[in-house]
Amino acid sequence: MRVPDEAGLAALVGTPLPGGEFTFEPWWVHLVNDCALAPVDGGADSPVFAFLAATAAMGLSWEEMWAMFGATEADGPMAGESVTEVHRPLRVGATYAVRGEIVSAVRKRGARTGVFDLVGYRLDLHDADGCAATCVSSIVFPRRSR
Amino acid sequence: MKPGDALAGEEVLVGAERMKTMSALMRDANPIHFDPDAVRALGLGDRPVNQGPLNQAYVVTMLARWSGGRVRALRLRYLGTVFAGDRVRAGGRVTAIGGGVAECEVWLDVVGGDRVLAGTAVVEVP
Repeated sequence: MRVPDEAGLAALVGTPLPGGEFTFEPWWVHLVNDCALAPVDGGADSPVFAFLAATAAMGLSWEEMWAMFGATEADGPMAGESVTEVHRPLRVGATYAVRGEIVSAVRKRGARTGVFDLVGYRLDLHDADGCAATCVSSIVFPRRSR
Repeated sequence: MKPGDALAGEEVLVGAERMKTMSALMRDANPIHFDPDAVRALGLGDRPVNQGPLNQAYVVTMLARWSGGRVRALRLRYLGTVFAGDRVRAGGRVTAIGGGVAECEVWLDVVGGDRVLAGTAVVEVP
């Protein structure tokens, strides 16, 4: 698998993600809240549910996301930061369209971590009234051989 | 409610069984969440690794219980890992109030261990 050079990383910015649709089915929301030790009748109106729906329906698997940047699970990609805004309440039973793209991709060198690539991606949840939630997250790809 | 107020969540025990259910719900095939052998192979010990969204949820639950309102925005940096059997506690501090929302610093700590999440949140208040 070929790791993109810095120009290759820059060229990936703006790449759209396939996207898809996600429905907050009541049984699924109940179980996620149970796993999160939250009230099971607490609904889906939180940044956590926005992130889960967005990543579930982004249209590619995590392995496919890693592959876009020349990496596999064995390379140890890690979550860096996530910024989620819920613009209006997310509703149980509602279906949202997910659209997204790669918004940043740069190579960095840390004193402790060595060389790594920092990749940002944005996912939006849309319904008939427009954008209901926005998630911008980053992935850290260690590049130990660079 | 006023700037400087401290927020404190309940101490919760992170269990491996819930991670398995969450892997299925997320269709997340990464075995570090359900297979101790996979965790061991990565040199991370022998306890499954909690999913990031569950760690986020402990912070959101603390905010929702404190405010009684919805969490509009959440910015979190992932600083560390939570393992099955860990006890974690969310915390925070109000930094500003106005316009029907509170802005807060928030975090999640492993009890007796490291800070694993840190960031900010915007939550509706009465």
